[in-house]
Amino acid sequence: MPKTENDPLGPRFAWRLRFELDRVQPRFSPPRYATRARVSPWRFAPVALAIGITGILGLTAYAATGSANPVVWTERARSVIEAVPPSPTPESTPTPNAPKAAPPAAPTRGTSPEPSGSPEPRESPEPSDDHSGTSGSASSTRLSTPTPDR
Amino acid sequence: MGEGYRPGNRDDFDRLYRSAYPRVFRTLSVILSDPDDAEDCTQDAFVQAYAAWRRWRPDAPAEAWVHRIAVNRAISYRRRARLRTVAEIVRRLGRPAPVADPADAAAQPDLLGALRTLPPRLAAAIVLRHYHGYNNREIAAAIGVSERTIGTRLQQAGARLRAELDVNFSLTPRSAFPSDKHESYAED
Repeated sequence: MPKTENDPLGPRFAWRLRFELDRVQPRFSPPRYATRARVSPWRFAPVALAIGITGILGLTAYAATGSANPVVWTERARSVIEAVPPSPTPESTPTPNAPKAAPPAAPTRGTSPEPSGSPEPRESPEPSDDHSGTSGSASSTRLSTPTPDR
Repeated sequence: MGEGYRPGNRDDFDRLYRSAYPRVFRTLSVILSDPDDAEDCTQDAFVQAYAAWRRWRPDAPAEAWVHRIAVNRAISYRRRARLRTVAEIVRRLGRPAPVADPADAAAQPDLLGALRTLPPRLAAAIVLRHYHGYNNREIAAAIGVSERTIGTRLQQAGARLRAELDVNFSLTPRSAFPSDKHESYAED
């Protein structure tokens, strides 16, 4: 590159400066920019950590609810939160138990003569046929017994 | 200088590093007297240049562009280092700044020592001009100021260097420094 300016310090100054600076030997350390480029993936470590935590939470929610729909997860979480009583007072506990006890009591209104067998009325949805069969046999025994007596 | 460099190309930046690192280091060794500091700033400048390598425009010389980054970095480094020194704290408390001992100046007649007494922008202009061979326009592009400013800086640096160096040794005969030639830096 040509110098177009005059040098007020003179050519000897440039020669002397070149002589002095050429004696300065730079230390050739490995380029730091290359090292930084290798380290740069660590910049994404927080993002990777956040993605990993989100994935673990998603898998846990999927395993707990059996659904991949986040809406189901939130409904499930809401129902669990609402199921927890806000305060352990004894007055509030019987109130939610009362409607829950009603469904098991519903099959018992089928006038089953055996109160001890509570699970069995649930399994047989047609109690009328059984009752007719038993009543028929009972009536037949009642009818048959007087006949030989007479 | 800088021919054949493609912005964003890693191999080209490696080539630029190999060719420009010693020259940038020597420039910063004038601004920063400690070689460790010069090396640190040079490496940081190349890190910054590498981050911006895709935005480099081939219309400016790549080495001058790195020089600009490095000189700015060295100036801010030196400013921070000065703020950390006790002498600077004492000076900011209102006490008079310590005056350089003339005996020390006499014991250090080297040119680099004299250059390091200059403000870094003046020293950078002198090195870019007289060591790297840039003209005023190239220095202005490298430093990011106008050519007129570079001319002024070179005049100021030349005057201060003459005052500093003539005490210790003569670079050129006194007759080689007529006052009218001091303006010749601006003639570009």
